[in-house]
Amino acid sequence: MGMAVAHGMASGMNGMRTAGDLVMRMEMKGMKIKEAKEYVAGKLGVGVPELSDEYRMKEVREELDIGTVMAVPGAAKGLRAKARIADILGIEIPCVEKLR
Amino acid sequence: MSNENLLEIIRESIVKVDRETAVQTVESALAQGLQAIEVIEKGLSPGMQKVGDLFERGELFLPQVMMAAGLMTQIVQSLQDKMSPEQTTKKNGVVIIGTVEGDVHDIGKNIVKILLSVNGFEVHDLGRDALLSRFVEKAKEFNANIVASSALMTGTMQAQGDLETLLKEAGIRDRVKTMVGGAPCTQYWADKIGANAYAENASEAVTKARELMAAQ
Amino acid sequence: MAYKERMGDGRLVEMSKEEMIRDIEAGCNDAAERGKISALSEDAQERLLDIMISPERVASVEPENTVVFSTDNGCHSLYGNFSEAGGVGLPIHSVTANMLMERALGFDSVFYGWLDFCFKAAKAVITQHQQELESILMNTVSPCIYGAMPNLGGYYKPDGPFENVGDLMAEGKILEGMEVYERLVDHAKEDIVWVSEQLTRVGVDCINIDTTGAAGDGDFLSSLKACEELKKQTGLSIEMGMASEFVMGIHGGLEYDGNVLAGMYPHKQVKMAEKAGVDIFGPVVNTNTRQSTPWNIARAITFTKECSRVANIPLHPNMGMGVGGLPMAEMPPLDAVTKASKAMVELAGVDGI
Repeated sequence: MGMAVAHGMASGMNGMRTAGDLVMRMEMKGMKIKEAKEYVAGKLGVGVPELSDEYRMKEVREELDIGTVMAVPGAAKGLRAKARIADILGIEIPCVEKLR
Repeated sequence: MSNENLLEIIRESIVKVDRETAVQTVESALAQGLQAIEVIEKGLSPGMQKVGDLFERGELFLPQVMMAAGLMTQIVQSLQDKMSPEQTTKKNGVVIIGTVEGDVHDIGKNIVKILLSVNGFEVHDLGRDALLSRFVEKAKEFNANIVASSALMTGTMQAQGDLETLLKEAGIRDRVKTMVGGAPCTQYWADKIGANAYAENASEAVTKARELMAAQ
Repeated sequence: MAYKERMGDGRLVEMSKEEMIRDIEAGCNDAAERGKISALSEDAQERLLDIMISPERVASVEPENTVVFSTDNGCHSLYGNFSEAGGVGLPIHSVTANMLMERALGFDSVFYGWLDFCFKAAKAVITQHQQELESILMNTVSPCIYGAMPNLGGYYKPDGPFENVGDLMAEGKILEGMEVYERLVDHAKEDIVWVSEQLTRVGVDCINIDTTGAAGDGDFLSSLKACEELKKQTGLSIEMGMASEFVMGIHGGLEYDGNVLAGMYPHKQVKMAEKAGVDIFGPVVNTNTRQSTPWNIARAITFTKECSRVANIPLHPNMGMGVGGLPMAEMPPLDAVTKASKAMVELAGVDGI
């Protein structure tokens, strides 16, 4: 586990702390990192550098209600957050499709 | 053709598993005055060592390794009557080999076994998931020179350390040399548990086994 | 002046700058020679030297160059045992573990798999897997990966119906061994497809066919064929992680798309993966414990850079214990991990780890 955390600190986007989970979703569709970041930035309406900025992305994620790492009562979590991510990114998320 | 050229052809024919060329060149070498033991030690064995090296680099595959081993074994057998009784009974050493208990990974161990066998070692294979007590039993039964253990997981490699203890408790640790191998093993690990050698791959295992025998 | 560096087994050593330059060049050349590829340019080697001689404990990339991580282990590290998972053995459920990964540790993806980590063995507990995946999917936001390996070795007696191919060949039954091995391929493929289909039913995001090629060229072939079929039938996202740097030839003649698989190095493996429909490819470069980390990282980057150059899909090189330039140590030192991580992202141009 320590090794994964070390990688995360050295070169990782750090998931929901920024837009790591969203970029990961696009790479799972075969997009390379540059294309995936550009796609996500475009859909979120931010610049590519902002995707790795914790301060800015906390704000964006809260505004779009797509889940943050903070335990905010009433904010979208789990499937609800993923349903919003699917709409914003314009993709199908398999478990969200099951829900729908 | 010089003796060295003939030996080179023998080495290459083992690598290429070219039976016809190998047999003919061995006959030419003997006719030219080379001793059978020289043909084995300077022609066939280095050829097989090269086969092992190429396998480790992904340039030769298991069936070719097996066929090369089979060809070498056949030629060595055909040379038996051309060697002195001393030479024919001479073995590089007796090895007990196995994948330690709790571990079922045996591909690497099997390659080591084959390369040791064709390089003149008498090898007794305990297979995979082998009880540590069997290593000790077989080492005693066959009066082994080397006990070689393989482990592929950090959990099961602990058994290699336990084996050192068991061999001591059985009173035979000073009579045998130990070798360890497998993905998580390192020279540091071998030193830590008191094993005599660590080999990174199958070809190196043969080199290390020879070195251990030379030091005995 | 002496710099603190690591050996491939994790030990701390001191090296001069000249020794590091020599090792970086030698590591590059070893990869170039084996893979029949270009060595790193002089500029890249100098850049790697800069990274390696840094005395800081943690190296890192610039924020804009950050990448994403997939995992073949993930939550196992929290509740699993140390042997199979490098785990710390916390008494927690897989859902809690994944929420920790996502919320506390900042993972880009969450993960589920069985500790046994084999598709064949997963068949017996598939409903349990479906149930746990449902719970994970309901409670997490990040994409969820299910991982397992083809593990052709699990089809040999006494665990399966087939004779051990290695034993058959050792007995001189080479052709029989090759025939048995060919039959194994479709058995493994069917199991990968069946298990993946069951997990698709509950909405998994991605299947990681991992440690592919561990049992040789047939292992790789079964994964490629399974991927092809899954893509056609389900459209599921698929990641493929390799077991070692080249495909070991247990058969030697098995082909995919007219190419012999045995002996393939990462830059050729990735083209097979692309053809099969893989979305993310995870190449492996093995660590040599007797060489220094400058040597190992240079070598890993040389192989991976070439793989990255030819790849049209994202690359997530394996960078765990004993692979990707990292030391073969249960607790790889922070300096070695972060230097390797930084170097891999900046010099090999990878899309993730």
